[in-house]
Amino acid sequence: MNSLSPPPSTNAPPDYGAAFFRKSTAAFWALWVVFWLLMMGVAIEDQLRSPLAQWWEPILTEGSSALIATAWMWLAVRVRGRHARYLDRPLRWFASYLQWLPLVCVTWIVAVYAMRHGIYAAMGRSYEHSGWGFVIVYESLKLTYNAGLWLGVLFAIDSYGQWQLQWRRLLQTQKALAEAQLARLQGQLRPHFLFNALNTVSALMHTDVARADRLIAALGDLLRISLRSNEHEMTPLAEELRTLELYADIMHERFRDRVTLDWRIDPAVLDTPIPALLLQPLLENVFKHGVERAVTPVHILVGASCRNGALEIVVRNTGSVLAPEHRDGVGFRNCRERLGIIYGNAASLLVRNEAGGVAAHVSLPLEETVA
Amino acid sequence: MIRVVVADDETPAREKLERWVAEQPDMAVVGSAEDGLSAAQCIARLRPDVAFLDVQMPTLSGLQVAAQLEPSSALLIVFVTAFDEHAVNAFDLNAVDYLLKPYDRDRFARTVQRVRERLLAHESGAAAVAIGRAQAPACERLLVPDGERLQLIDAAAVEWLEADDNYVHVHTAARSYLLRRTLQDLLTQLGDQRFVRIHKSAAVNLASIGSLTPLFKGDYEIHLRNGRVLRLSRRYREALFARMGR
Repeated sequence: MNSLSPPPSTNAPPDYGAAFFRKSTAAFWALWVVFWLLMMGVAIEDQLRSPLAQWWEPILTEGSSALIATAWMWLAVRVRGRHARYLDRPLRWFASYLQWLPLVCVTWIVAVYAMRHGIYAAMGRSYEHSGWGFVIVYESLKLTYNAGLWLGVLFAIDSYGQWQLQWRRLLQTQKALAEAQLARLQGQLRPHFLFNALNTVSALMHTDVARADRLIAALGDLLRISLRSNEHEMTPLAEELRTLELYADIMHERFRDRVTLDWRIDPAVLDTPIPALLLQPLLENVFKHGVERAVTPVHILVGASCRNGALEIVVRNTGSVLAPEHRDGVGFRNCRERLGIIYGNAASLLVRNEAGGVAAHVSLPLEETVA
Repeated sequence: MIRVVVADDETPAREKLERWVAEQPDMAVVGSAEDGLSAAQCIARLRPDVAFLDVQMPTLSGLQVAAQLEPSSALLIVFVTAFDEHAVNAFDLNAVDYLLKPYDRDRFARTVQRVRERLLAHESGAAAVAIGRAQAPACERLLVPDGERLQLIDAAAVEWLEADDNYVHVHTAARSYLLRRTLQDLLTQLGDQRFVRIHKSAAVNLASIGSLTPLFKGDYEIHLRNGRVLRLSRRYREALFARMGR
């Protein structure tokens, strides 16, 4: 049985993160060196108490042990990329290393004792130790114990690396997913909005040419912005507000008698960069759930200000409340995911009932972004 | 004269429809509504020949308004919608009239012509009602007459339904409503999630059943939570037991 031999490969070996392995290898060897220096220090201090001992004796004892152990450890570290696929099955991982332990014990004992005997002889002395039976059992036990310890360290380091790698990949996947969702979302919402807006133009044309004209211009501007904003992800708040304004203008034309809008924007925050089209889904939601489903007039407030080092944006509407069993729709989830990817935990999006209506609060850090 | 009701929650869109219908020499707008509930009220009160219903409206969608009508209703429905692939596909399959926003005079004229032909052929609105029932989300609310007006009640609040010729008494804890529908048709509209037939002339909300007492010949007495006792005929016994998980 030889589990070290590569399994029948059906596809390309997975990449276990070469960059992480290089970095963690250095850390592992640093730990290894510190360990052996400590061992040597303890041995030297021990020997100093014995008046008969020579200065080189503890160095030889620990040095010979370290030399052979390092050779084997070096091998173990070298092949760990091949074992990485077993990291999620610890027993399998340890077994695939420990099956070599008998060989390690034999070579270690033979090599170390040969070295010690040789050097003692060269110095004109004889190396004294317990009987061979005891030596073999004692050293084998010590080797088993130490192998377990260091394999444990290796396992911990590699598991951590694996976890980090997977986490990073998960993040990348999520980011790609969020982008795909954004694209899909835009695809979902736009047709309905566009056809309704076109119908309003077609209705206004017969009664008020100037208003129809303005509406077409606003529609054109909004289309231009939405076609462009996929390219660069961040946009100044002023620009995003301009998009909101265009959208609101068009919706206001459709629901003129049912909606009033109020903008409360602090001029100081207009240049703050924010993710493009972050706020538009919030306003779309207000129209979809607040205005289009209400028979009473709805008041909408859009506010932006700086508070406690964060950019606070609120989109609030009267006339509707969240049901107790309310769950965020794809629009909110998408917004939240984008915020998480760009700002980590520093940004938030809260939707709650407030002052007889629904309010969406977005909070973005004013410092530079994490991404 | 063809009497028309127009319903759209967007004023410009509604005014355009009203204007174009009024331009037809043989048509008159007898009512217009800004939401689904008032549209249903208009239809119930004015009994028009044709209704132009926007699909997306507050309170009730155009499809839901249609779903509340009886299939044998003589009302012809023209759905008006901006973009709703599912609904439009369903309209096409069932040859129901619809207008896609934005539409021009030619398209509108074609629809009007089709309406005239159907009225001459005395076709019923069954297709539109069927579409409404199939496309509108599960019917959780029921439109019931309340004096001169119509009102919406939660299907969950209905305890039991009692057939009375071509009418149905809809019993809630608070009061009863009389609906000009057949029990079978109403049950079809409400779906079989909540209500189950217990008798030729009665159906009950599963949630309002308190207990069952066996009688002779396989009939049972159903005790509702509100204390009322109803008869479960053995013909419907198995179906009820199956629904109650027995």
